[in-house]
Amino acid sequence: MEILLLNALANGILLGGVLALLAFGLNLIFGVVKVIHMAYGQCVMLGMYLIYTLRSIYEVPLLAASAVAVAAMAIWGALLHLLVIRPLLGVERLNQLLALAGLIIVFENLAHVIWGADLRGVRVDLPVVSLGNLFLKTSNLLAFLGALAVLGILYFVLQRTYVGLAIRAIAQDTECARLMGIDPGRIYLLTLTIGGALTGLIAAFFSPIYSVHPHFGGSFTLMAFIIVVLGGMGNLAGGFLGAFIIGVVTSVAAVFTSTEVAEILALVIFILVVLVRPQGLLGARGAR
Amino acid sequence: MLEVQGIDVFYGEFQALFNMSLEVREQETVITVGPNGAGKSTLLRAISGLLPCRNGSIRFLGQAVHNLQAHRIVELGIAHVPEGGRVFPHLTVLENLKIGSYIRKARGAADRNLGEIYQLFPRLAERRLQLADTLSGGERQMLAIARSLMSGPRLILLDEPSSGLAPLVVGMLFDFISRIKSQGYSILMVEQNVRKALELSDRAYLLESGRVRLQGTREEFSQESYIRQAYLGL
Repeated sequence: MEILLLNALANGILLGGVLALLAFGLNLIFGVVKVIHMAYGQCVMLGMYLIYTLRSIYEVPLLAASAVAVAAMAIWGALLHLLVIRPLLGVERLNQLLALAGLIIVFENLAHVIWGADLRGVRVDLPVVSLGNLFLKTSNLLAFLGALAVLGILYFVLQRTYVGLAIRAIAQDTECARLMGIDPGRIYLLTLTIGGALTGLIAAFFSPIYSVHPHFGGSFTLMAFIIVVLGGMGNLAGGFLGAFIIGVVTSVAAVFTSTEVAEILALVIFILVVLVRPQGLLGARGAR
Repeated sequence: MLEVQGIDVFYGEFQALFNMSLEVREQETVITVGPNGAGKSTLLRAISGLLPCRNGSIRFLGQAVHNLQAHRIVELGIAHVPEGGRVFPHLTVLENLKIGSYIRKARGAADRNLGEIYQLFPRLAERRLQLADTLSGGERQMLAIARSLMSGPRLILLDEPSSGLAPLVVGMLFDFISRIKSQGYSILMVEQNVRKALELSDRAYLLESGRVRLQGTREEFSQESYIRQAYLGL
């Protein structure tokens, strides 16, 4: 029993790492550009299909396919900004939301047309790492370590570089940031490009773990939104905390009940937290 | 150095400035006074590119700037300190100053400027790792002014620097502004505290309902009976 719990806990933490990356991307885009990227999980799904296609059909090595996916999804993010988000920057929030939610339908059906409804997976044979009674899949461990490394790099960029400072300044006061000589248009494009690259990266981390299907993104978009709101919209540290809470809760609950009940439990926790603290665990005071 | 000629500025359909003209010369401190809603802040926002001009022109160091975006105008040497010490609340004091030197040509001199600013404002050096959020109103205003110096400007636009500050702090703030003035910066200041602002100024403009009502040197301005009655309480 304890061994089971221990393993569920460990796997929850590993999952939390990747979810933290997903929440980071959403938070960054919301904090800086002030739009809610409804189709974020669907971008991950497209990235996974891209890796699948490169790997299974063109027999590109997984690492190279992953690198291509990161670059392609970065460009995808930039295009999304130029074609969909930028034209809608000045309009009502509801219209932005509708346009971005519309992308969910577009992306999912695009995947349907190109790859069909079957599950597509990249087969990888990796050993299981065992530490005493703890058994961890290498792919999960790699995804976790990779996600933490990327979060570390992003944190460093945000804290220590002029570009990072400009991103944080824009998130706090766009007009004042313009008076510092910061061009919001450039920072917005950069933010969506980084956000896009992150979806490619998450796709790379997920590919050896999950098989992809056209609706794969949906559950992760929902999960990501729960995490982001749980932590506090736009609060990067809150997203980090929320990711691990949701990761651990769902994975522990899944062991003792079922995956479906685990998702219900995650939603219950979410509703309770938002009832008590509508601003989220770490408050909604803008991206730091 | 700055020539504003006949600009009309609108907020949507509402016209805030009518055929406004104003000039700031090299190393000069110019103040604009007037009641709320006279268009003082609007004037500064038009100069720094936050608001577009529908007619007229703004020239800075001989170059037309009224069609440029705000971030380009900073690069030419105009720094705008918005009202109420608008610093970035969740950045530290040091980060706020660093973002002041964001424009490319200011980055090389950032460390040197930072040293000078810490000498000028020792309080900011003490608090450099604190979030700007935790500063007092006066400190925040000083930080906002110090931040504007980090871009290496030729002209500084100050929007009501003393608003909302205690009298003692206002005195300190004006000391800082006069120190900045003595370093050779040109200053265009909007201020409610007419008496103190006049002491610092070389020339002054009175704005009412979006138009220039009076203008003159400090001496002319403080002799004007309308100013003495309405703004100096004499």
